[in-house]
Amino acid sequence: MAYVHPMDALGDPTRRAIFERLRSGPKPVVELARGLPVSRPAVSQHLRVLREAGLVRDHAVGTRRIYEVNPEGFGQVRTWFEDFWTDALDAFKRAAEGERSDR
Amino acid sequence: MTETATIAPVRKSLRVECSPERAFEVFTAQVATWWPTKTHSIHHEAVTDVILEPREGGELYELAEGGKREPWGRVTAWEPPNRLVLAWHVNPEGAGPTEIEVTFSPEDGATRVELEHRNWEQAGAGAAEMRDNYDSGWDLVLAPFVEKAR
Repeated sequence: MAYVHPMDALGDPTRRAIFERLRSGPKPVVELARGLPVSRPAVSQHLRVLREAGLVRDHAVGTRRIYEVNPEGFGQVRTWFEDFWTDALDAFKRAAEGERSDR
Repeated sequence: MTETATIAPVRKSLRVECSPERAFEVFTAQVATWWPTKTHSIHHEAVTDVILEPREGGELYELAEGGKREPWGRVTAWEPPNRLVLAWHVNPEGAGPTEIEVTFSPEDGATRVELEHRNWEQAGAGAAEMRDNYDSGWDLVLAPFVEKAR
Protein backbone atom coordinates (compact mmCIF):
# COMPACT_ATOMS: atom_id res chain seq x y z
CA MET A 1 0.00 0.00 0.00
CA ALA A 2 1.40 3.34 -1.03
CA TYR A 3 1.95 5.73 1.84
CA VAL A 4 0.10 9.01 1.39
CA HIS A 5 1.00 11.94 3.63
CA PRO A 6 -2.11 13.32 5.39
CA MET A 7 -1.22 16.85 4.39
CA ASP A 8 -1.05 15.83 0.75
CA ALA A 9 -4.32 13.95 1.02
CA LEU A 10 -6.00 17.10 2.35
CA GLY A 11 -4.42 19.18 -0.40
CA ASP A 12 -7.32 18.35 -2.73
CA PRO A 13 -10.53 20.40 -2.25
CA THR A 14 -12.91 17.51 -2.93
CA ARG A 15 -11.09 15.30 -0.45
CA ARG A 16 -11.22 18.06 2.14
CA ALA A 17 -14.96 18.36 1.55
CA ILE A 18 -15.40 14.62 2.04
CA PHE A 19 -13.24 14.65 5.15
CA GLU A 20 -15.18 17.55 6.63
CA ARG A 21 -18.44 15.68 6.13
CA LEU A 22 -17.04 12.79 8.12
CA ARG A 23 -16.19 15.05 11.01
CA SER A 24 -19.85 15.07 12.07
CA GLY A 25 -20.03 11.27 12.21
CA PRO A 26 -19.60 8.03 10.21
CA LYS A 27 -21.30 7.88 6.83
CA PRO A 28 -21.73 5.53 3.87
CA VAL A 29 -20.34 6.45 0.47
CA VAL A 30 -23.75 7.24 -0.97
CA GLU A 31 -24.35 9.86 1.67
CA LEU A 32 -20.88 11.35 1.31
CA ALA A 33 -21.38 11.67 -2.43
CA ARG A 34 -24.70 13.49 -2.13
CA GLY A 35 -24.38 17.09 -3.28
CA LEU A 36 -20.78 16.74 -4.35
CA PRO A 37 -20.00 17.59 -7.97
CA VAL A 38 -18.27 14.25 -8.54
CA SER A 39 -19.43 10.70 -9.25
CA ARG A 40 -19.70 8.01 -6.60
CA PRO A 41 -16.75 6.05 -8.00
CA ALA A 42 -14.72 9.26 -7.76
CA VAL A 43 -15.78 9.66 -4.13
CA SER A 44 -14.71 6.07 -3.49
CA GLN A 45 -11.35 6.83 -5.06
CA HIS A 46 -10.92 9.90 -2.82
CA LEU A 47 -11.87 7.81 0.21
CA ARG A 48 -9.19 5.30 -0.75
CA VAL A 49 -6.59 8.07 -0.71
CA LEU A 50 -7.85 9.34 2.65
CA ARG A 51 -7.68 5.80 4.01
CA GLU A 52 -4.15 5.28 2.76
CA ALA A 53 -3.21 8.55 4.46
CA GLY A 54 -4.65 7.16 7.69
CA LEU A 55 -7.23 9.93 7.95
CA VAL A 56 -10.30 7.71 7.64
CA ARG A 57 -11.13 4.06 8.27
CA ASP A 58 -14.00 1.90 7.09
CA HIS A 59 -15.97 -1.18 8.00
CA ALA A 60 -18.70 -3.17 6.30
CA VAL A 61 -22.32 -3.06 7.38
CA GLY A 62 -24.19 -5.56 5.24
CA THR A 63 -23.25 -4.71 1.68
CA ARG A 64 -22.31 -1.11 2.47
CA ARG A 65 -19.04 0.35 3.64
CA ILE A 66 -19.24 2.93 6.41
CA TYR A 67 -16.43 5.48 6.65
CA GLU A 68 -15.34 7.45 9.70
CA VAL A 69 -12.53 9.73 10.81
CA ASN A 70 -9.47 7.90 12.11
CA PRO A 71 -8.33 9.94 15.13
CA GLU A 72 -4.79 8.58 14.91
CA GLY A 73 -4.33 9.77 11.38
CA PHE A 74 -5.84 13.08 12.25
CA GLY A 75 -3.27 13.36 15.01
CA GLN A 76 -0.57 13.28 12.36
CA VAL A 77 -1.74 16.63 11.08
CA ARG A 78 -1.34 17.99 14.58
CA THR A 79 2.09 16.39 14.80
CA TRP A 80 3.03 18.20 11.64
CA PHE A 81 2.21 21.53 13.29
CA GLU A 82 4.11 20.43 16.36
CA ASP A 83 7.22 20.04 14.22
CA PHE A 84 6.53 23.31 12.49
CA TRP A 85 6.51 25.20 15.81
CA THR A 86 9.71 23.51 16.90
CA ASP A 87 11.48 24.85 13.82
CA ALA A 88 9.88 28.27 13.89
CA LEU A 89 10.59 28.81 17.60
CA ASP A 90 14.22 27.74 17.16
CA ALA A 91 14.54 30.49 14.58
CA PHE A 92 12.71 32.89 16.89
CA LYS A 93 15.14 32.09 19.73
CA ARG A 94 18.11 32.81 17.47
CA ALA A 95 16.57 36.10 16.35
CA ALA A 96 15.71 37.21 19.89
CA GLU A 97 19.12 36.30 21.32
CA GLY A 98 21.13 37.60 18.39
CA GLU A 99 22.09 41.07 17.36
CA ARG A 100 19.42 43.22 15.86
CA SER A 101 18.80 41.27 12.72
CA ASP A 102 20.07 42.65 9.44
CA ARG A 103 17.42 41.74 6.96
CA MET B 1 -22.61 8.73 16.85
CA THR B 2 -22.27 12.47 16.66
CA GLU B 3 -19.08 12.79 18.65
CA THR B 4 -16.11 14.40 16.96
CA ALA B 5 -12.54 13.56 17.78
CA THR B 6 -10.87 15.99 20.14
CA ILE B 7 -7.30 16.92 19.48
CA ALA B 8 -4.85 17.99 22.17
CA PRO B 9 -3.29 21.45 21.82
CA VAL B 10 0.25 21.76 20.54
CA ARG B 11 2.35 23.13 23.42
CA LYS B 12 5.90 24.47 23.25
CA SER B 13 8.10 25.91 25.97
CA LEU B 14 11.51 27.44 25.49
CA ARG B 15 14.01 29.62 27.30
CA VAL B 16 15.26 32.67 25.46
CA GLU B 17 18.34 34.54 26.68
CA CYS B 18 16.94 38.05 26.61
CA SER B 19 14.36 40.14 28.44
CA PRO B 20 10.62 39.52 28.05
CA GLU B 21 10.41 42.96 26.43
CA ARG B 22 12.91 42.01 23.76
CA ALA B 23 11.35 38.56 23.23
CA PHE B 24 7.90 40.08 22.83
CA GLU B 25 9.30 42.70 20.45
CA VAL B 26 10.98 40.15 18.19
CA PHE B 27 7.97 37.85 18.24
CA THR B 28 5.49 40.57 17.30
CA ALA B 29 7.32 43.40 15.53
CA GLN B 30 9.94 41.39 13.66
CA VAL B 31 7.99 38.34 12.54
CA ALA B 32 9.73 38.20 9.18
CA THR B 33 13.15 37.81 10.84
CA TRP B 34 12.28 34.38 12.19
CA TRP B 35 9.10 33.03 10.55
CA PRO B 36 10.10 30.57 7.80
CA THR B 37 8.23 32.43 5.05
CA LYS B 38 10.03 30.63 2.21
CA THR B 39 8.23 27.42 3.13
CA HIS B 40 5.37 28.52 5.41
CA SER B 41 3.47 31.30 3.71
CA ILE B 42 1.16 31.92 0.82
CA HIS B 43 3.67 33.53 -1.54
CA HIS B 44 6.86 31.81 -0.34
CA GLU B 45 9.94 33.45 -1.93
CA ALA B 46 7.91 36.49 -2.97
CA VAL B 47 7.04 37.44 0.63
CA THR B 48 8.52 40.83 1.46
CA ASP B 49 7.34 41.24 5.05
CA VAL B 50 5.02 39.93 7.76
CA ILE B 51 3.08 42.55 9.69
CA LEU B 52 1.43 42.15 13.08
CA GLU B 53 -0.54 45.28 14.01
CA PRO B 54 0.32 45.92 17.68
CA ARG B 55 -3.11 46.17 19.26
CA GLU B 56 -6.15 44.09 20.15
CA GLY B 57 -8.10 43.58 16.94
CA GLY B 58 -4.95 44.19 14.91
CA GLU B 59 -4.37 42.09 11.84
CA LEU B 60 -1.58 39.67 11.06
CA TYR B 61 -0.74 39.44 7.38
CA GLU B 62 1.96 38.81 4.85
CA LEU B 63 3.04 41.27 2.19
CA ALA B 64 4.34 40.01 -1.13
CA GLU B 65 5.90 41.44 -4.26
CA GLY B 66 3.48 43.57 -6.23
CA GLY B 67 1.86 44.84 -3.03
CA LYS B 68 -0.25 41.73 -2.42
CA ARG B 69 -1.55 41.43 1.13
CA GLU B 70 -2.71 38.08 2.52
CA PRO B 71 -4.37 37.80 5.95
CA TRP B 72 -3.13 35.17 8.39
CA GLY B 73 -5.11 36.09 11.47
CA ARG B 74 -6.06 38.64 14.08
CA VAL B 75 -4.84 39.74 17.51
CA THR B 76 -7.44 38.84 20.15
CA ALA B 77 -5.32 39.68 23.24
CA TRP B 78 -2.47 42.22 23.30
CA GLU B 79 -0.67 42.44 26.65
CA PRO B 80 2.95 43.46 26.06
CA PRO B 81 5.39 42.18 27.13
CA ASN B 82 3.67 39.17 28.71
CA ARG B 83 0.91 37.72 26.58
CA LEU B 84 -0.39 37.54 23.04
CA VAL B 85 -3.34 35.63 21.60
CA LEU B 86 -3.94 35.22 17.89
CA ALA B 87 -6.94 33.91 15.99
CA TRP B 88 -5.24 31.99 13.20
CA HIS B 89 -7.49 32.35 10.22
CA VAL B 90 -6.01 32.43 6.79
CA ASN B 91 -9.32 33.08 5.02
CA PRO B 92 -11.91 35.08 6.98
CA GLU B 93 -14.75 33.65 4.90
CA GLY B 94 -14.05 30.12 6.07
CA ALA B 95 -14.72 28.02 9.14
CA GLY B 96 -13.70 28.99 12.64
CA PRO B 97 -10.11 29.87 13.49
CA THR B 98 -7.61 27.94 15.53
CA GLU B 99 -6.03 29.88 18.38
CA ILE B 100 -2.42 30.57 19.30
CA GLU B 101 -1.53 31.88 22.77
CA VAL B 102 2.01 32.97 23.58
CA THR B 103 3.22 34.03 27.02
CA PHE B 104 6.56 35.62 27.99
CA SER B 105 7.64 35.33 31.65
CA PRO B 106 10.85 36.41 33.40
CA GLU B 107 13.09 33.46 34.35
CA ASP B 108 16.46 34.04 36.05
CA GLY B 109 17.41 37.01 33.94
CA ALA B 110 16.05 35.39 30.79
CA THR B 111 12.57 34.69 29.44
CA ARG B 112 10.37 31.60 29.41
CA VAL B 113 8.28 31.57 26.24
CA GLU B 114 5.28 29.24 26.18
CA LEU B 115 3.17 28.71 23.10
CA GLU B 116 -0.12 26.87 22.78
CA HIS B 117 -1.81 26.24 19.43
CA ARG B 118 -5.32 24.94 20.12
CA ASN B 119 -8.96 24.66 19.03
CA TRP B 120 -8.17 22.21 16.26
CA GLU B 121 -11.78 21.04 16.39
CA GLN B 122 -12.88 24.42 15.09
CA ALA B 123 -11.08 23.87 11.85
CA GLY B 124 -12.94 20.72 10.89
CA ALA B 125 -16.10 20.49 12.97
CA GLY B 126 -17.01 24.11 12.34
CA ALA B 127 -16.74 23.44 8.67
CA ALA B 128 -18.88 20.31 8.91
CA GLU B 129 -21.71 22.33 10.37
CA MET B 130 -21.54 24.95 7.69
CA ARG B 131 -23.68 24.62 4.60
CA ASP B 132 -22.15 22.60 1.77
CA ASN B 133 -19.08 24.64 1.22
CA TYR B 134 -16.34 22.76 -0.55
CA ASP B 135 -13.78 25.39 0.00
CA SER B 136 -13.68 25.91 3.73
CA GLY B 137 -11.93 24.68 6.79
CA TRP B 138 -8.76 22.83 6.26
CA ASP B 139 -7.39 24.70 3.30
CA LEU B 140 -7.81 27.93 5.18
CA VAL B 141 -5.95 26.69 8.17
CA LEU B 142 -3.45 24.58 6.31
CA ALA B 143 -3.00 26.37 3.02
CA PRO B 144 0.31 27.99 3.91
CA PHE B 145 1.66 24.70 5.14
CA VAL B 146 0.64 22.14 2.60
CA GLU B 147 3.62 22.89 0.36
CA LYS B 148 6.00 21.99 3.14
CA ALA B 149 4.67 18.45 3.33
CA ARG B 150 5.67 17.61 -0.23
